[in-house]
Formats: sequence, C-alpha cells, structure tokens
Amino acid sequence: MKRTRVILVLLTIVALLWALGCAGKPGEDESSLPEASAEPYRIGVVISLSGTYAGLGGPEQKAIDMEVARINAEGGVNGHPIEIVYEDDATDAAKAQAAVVRLIDEVGVIAVLGASGTGQTMAMRADIERAGVPQISMAGGSAVTAQLSEWVFQTPWPNRIVVPFVLKAMAADGYKNIAVISDTGGYGVDGHDVIVKSAADAGVTIVADETYNPGDADMTAQLTKMRGANPDAVLVWAAGKEAATIAKNARQLNMTQPIYGGSGIARLEFISGAGEAAEGVKLGTGKILVPEAYGEGTEEYEVATSFIDRYTEEYGEAPDIFAGHAYDAFGLVVDALGRVEGEATPAALRDAIEATDGWIGVGGTFSYSAEDHNGLTEDDLVMYVIEGGTWKLAE
Amino acid sequence: MGSAELLQYVVAGFKSGAIYALVALGFTLVYGSTGIINFAQGEFFMLGGVLSVFYYRLGLPLLLAALAGVVTTAGVGLAFERLALRPRRDAGALVLIIITIGGSMVMKSLTRHIFGPDEATLPEFTPGPSIAFGGVAIERQALWLWGLTIVAVLALTWLYRKTRFGRAMRACSLSHDAARLMGIDTARVVMVSFGLAAALGALAGLAVTPLTQTAWDVGATAGMKGFAAAILGGLGNPVASVIGGLVLGLLESLSVAFLSSTYKDAIALIVLLIVLFLRPQGLIGRARREKV
Repeated sequence: MKRTRVILVLLTIVALLWALGCAGKPGEDESSLPEASAEPYRIGVVISLSGTYAGLGGPEQKAIDMEVARINAEGGVNGHPIEIVYEDDATDAAKAQAAVVRLIDEVGVIAVLGASGTGQTMAMRADIERAGVPQISMAGGSAVTAQLSEWVFQTPWPNRIVVPFVLKAMAADGYKNIAVISDTGGYGVDGHDVIVKSAADAGVTIVADETYNPGDADMTAQLTKMRGANPDAVLVWAAGKEAATIAKNARQLNMTQPIYGGSGIARLEFISGAGEAAEGVKLGTGKILVPEAYGEGTEEYEVATSFIDRYTEEYGEAPDIFAGHAYDAFGLVVDALGRVEGEATPAALRDAIEATDGWIGVGGTFSYSAEDHNGLTEDDLVMYVIEGGTWKLAE
Repeated sequence: MGSAELLQYVVAGFKSGAIYALVALGFTLVYGSTGIINFAQGEFFMLGGVLSVFYYRLGLPLLLAALAGVVTTAGVGLAFERLALRPRRDAGALVLIIITIGGSMVMKSLTRHIFGPDEATLPEFTPGPSIAFGGVAIERQALWLWGLTIVAVLALTWLYRKTRFGRAMRACSLSHDAARLMGIDTARVVMVSFGLAAALGALAGLAVTPLTQTAWDVGATAGMKGFAAAILGGLGNPVASVIGGLVLGLLESLSVAFLSSTYKDAIALIVLLIVLFLRPQGLIGRARREKV
C-alpha cells in the first residue's frame, strides 16, 4: 500500500511538471544561401516554429523569406546579399537563449530578429547586451521596450499602447464599468498590469477581474462571476483559442454586454472558433486587417497593400499581423543597413536603427529614439468590429 | 449570491467535470487491464478532435466525421500498444509508463507536422441558444457531454460485470500470469483495452471541440485533468472515475465563485494531494490488498 501511494503521488507531480513544460523539439536551422558577390550580411532569426507560438513563427518566416528573396534579387544592400540563419526556439525561453548564443558566437550575425514571444525575447537579452548585437523583437509584450535596452528594438504595438487605446474606445462608446478576463500567460499578465494601471486615466472602472489558464476548456464560472458584477462591457485580454471559448460561453450565458479585445484576438481562428458569438466583438490593433484604415492613396497604404498583395500571391493566403511584424523587423534592419556608412558592424547598425525616423512599415510609421525603441503610437492603431465573419472598421 | 447563480456554478463545474470524467475513463480502462497509467490518453483526446475536424473538412457529414475520427484514433491506440508497448511488455510498469510518455510526444509532434499549428473547430451537434432552466443557462453541447458520459459509464460497467471480455480484463488486472494460465489471451485483452481507451478519449475530444476548438497541443491539459480525476475518484473503477471528474470540475468552479480564478487549478490540486494522502485508493476506489 505504501508503495502505491508513493508512486501515485510521484506520478501526479510528474504529470504536473509534464503539463507545465510540454514537449519540445530540438532547434532546426536552415540557411538560404544567396549567390554571393560581396560578403553577405548575416542576420539571425529566432522564432517559434514549434510549441505554443508555432502559429506565429510560421507567418513570420514566410514574410522574411519573401522579403529576403526580393532584396537579394534587387542586388542586396550596398552590394551585399543578405543571408538569413533561422533558429527555432520551440516557444521555450531556454532554447531561445541557446539559439542566440549560437547565432552570435558561432554564426557571427550582425543583427538578430525575434523572438516571436515576449518570454523568449527577454531570455535573449543578457547575451545580446554582452555581445553588443542589435535585436528587433516581434513580440508585443510591454516589457520588451519598457525595460529599455540600448540594443533591443520592437515592432508590434505593445500592450502599453494598445490597452489605453482600447480602454478609451470603450469609454467613448459609453461603457464605464468594465469586467476584465485575462489569461495567465505572458500576454494576458502583461496586458492585465497595463489595464489596471491605465483604467482610471481612460475613464473606466474595473468591476470584475478574472483570469484563466491557457488550456482551460470552460470559462462559464468566471463569466458567471463577472455577470454578477453587472458590467457595461467585457474586456478579454487573451491570446489563443480560449478567447473564442469565452465569447461562446458569454453568449450561452445570455450575457448581452459587448465584448472588447486587443491584438491577441486579431486572428481568423478567433472568428471561426467563436462563430456567431464573434459577431459584434470589437478589437483594437494595427491597420493591416483592413488596409483602407491607412487612408487610400497614402504612402502607408501603398506599402501595406504591396506587401499584402505579394504575400497573398506567394502563399495563397492573406498575411496576418505576425507576418506584418516580421516584415517590419526585417525592413527596419535593411533600411538601417542602407544608411550605415563604412563597415556594417553591429554597433554601427544599432546606431542606424536607433536613428530610424519615419520609416513606413505595415505596423505603422516607425520613429525610434534613444528613449523610445518601439517607435509606434496610438495613431498606428484602429478599432475593428467583427461583422459577417470578417473585420470591419468600427465607427 | 442567489441560488440561481450558485446553481450556474454547479452546472459550469459539471460541464468541465464531464470532460475530465470522459478522459478519466480512458485512464481507468487501461489501468484496469494493465495496471499502468497511459500518459498518451490526453493525445487520444486531441486526436479525436483533430481527426474529426480533418474528416469534416473533407466533406463528410458531422456524424460520419465523428465516427471516422473515433475509429481512426482507436486504430492509433491499437497500433501504439502493438508496436510500442507489447515488445517491452515484460519490462515492468515503470518502463511501460515512460513509453506512453514518449508515445504522447510523438503523436503530438506528428499531429502538428501533418495538420499544422492552428486551432480548428466543429459545429455544435445541436446548434441553438442555451436552455433556460430555473434561471440557469445550460448549453446544448453540455447536455451532449453529460449524455455521453452516462452512456460511456453504463457501457463500461456492463462490459466489466456482464461480459466474458470484461471478466478477462479484470482477471488481467489482478495477475497477467494467472489470467494466462486460465486460458485468457492477455495480449489481446491489453490491446483491445488500449483501442477502447483511445476511442473513449477521441469521443471526449470531439465532443468538446465545438466548445473549445481543438489543436495539436490540447492533449497535455486534458490528460492531466483526466488523470487527476481518475486518481481522485479511484483508478480502475468507471463509476469512481466519473465521480472524480465531476468533483474536480465542481471544485474548480466553486474555487472561482468563492476564492479566486487565478488559483483554481492549485486549489483543485491541493485537494487531490490531500485525498491521495488520506485515501490513496481514491474517493470511491476500494483498497487493493496484496495477499502474500
């Protein structure tokens, strides 16, 4: 009997650890070797091609592949072709750190793009700073550039910009008492902090504040509690399939409050997963979902539609926001390389990236400075409403 | 808190609980005939959803797609036992358990490579608004989950108690050697119980898909909760597994209601550990006496 008990307890603990850690796969790397004329510029890319964020890494790789081929076909930058070395971090911070060490010490890259996730991005920082190599992250966590590093830049709109934007939109729509549900993953926790901090300034009051764990199958209990607080509207700060479950659960509970969200639910899978429950959901994110948001005829509109059209033609599907973040990260490095005078050292490249002023990408118009390594503002965001199974610009 | 609201928490708890119960039944089935914990059970849950979506997207009607999903997963379960476990069947329980963990990783990675990383969904079996019952909203899909759970537990109990095969399974759980001496084809019993467990897991996975969507990575959480439910109720007994599942779901839901949603999993797990220390055989399970 004693043995059975010990074994069962051990198994429970093993199961827990196993569920928390999940399965990973070793990194895979592949290099696209251009027909070199001059010495190529080597750029490392650390993204999640497997693990939880595999859905982000895929489009990111596609966007970069497409742009590298285009730049090299046009003769490269300053006569140098560009060579990309990919590393898969398997959505694992430790693997991201190992990958960046390899890229810096063995491959000798002049810049690192990535990672896909905030945790992985932060795990790379010590080695990035040790080696003095510029990094452009495609992760949206506020921490990436709120904890400013001389060497780290960021392309997505971080929560500290998106959250106040969405909260203000809720207040403007007349919803002052809001119920919040966020996930306990990096995106939800980061967003939750900003929600709590900026609610008062935006003119809203949080009347219910619930969380759930990624992987949970049902959020009816949390929603019942939120419903009891009688909010005017519900704010879902989540990345992943659970957001669709929340929308469905709310509909099934006959909750009539409008649902709001951010970049985390700006995915087609949210619409298909939530089905009818997605109708009327409002979300704030960048302009790539409906290019008219850039303003037809503007340079921003031309840049974005050119990217969207080429991507759609190449891959048979429209790019999502993550493809856009990767396009911007790569484009910013190419733009900066073009402005480097003399030898393109990592340090010179870093200075050139920081000097970026008004570079137009699909995520917005980037202007970096010594204090601002995100470079975007609320002007680069827009509110959408889901109608008829697609995004429309909200009034 | 009004009584309707309290009842809504109970309904929510039993909904998640039914999911855990269905997964727990798979653990119980395999444990019942082999004495090992099959850590690939969560992946059967995942495969049921992902494969049904695959067949549904091929154009099969929902019922056929679901059936095809269950049958294919059962095939995977049979093959897994035959190819991965049987060659090492004399190696001891620990080795076999580790093989199931390896198998789960393989199934998961392969699924991601074959079907891609994005989540997908199935339509609800009977679409429509929730059913109002005394101020409580009950989802139609939840009724399906409860119905499936009841059917599954009745069928399994009948199998165990009334059929030759069920008796053979129980004999195997006591002693493989003795069962073999009595003329029972133990290898076949073990293989079939894996197939049945896979089919049950698949059924749970596809019935949940309209609510939660499915993807290559849903197996780990489902497996962990189902395992916890099986332990809580008592391994090896179908009714106990179902009660374990419902209690676990209820614990989580009431934790949200009265304490905090952040700690609901931790609370459920602490209760599980307490139960394990006080009643290692589970809430319902009977202690197995080892006679010398």
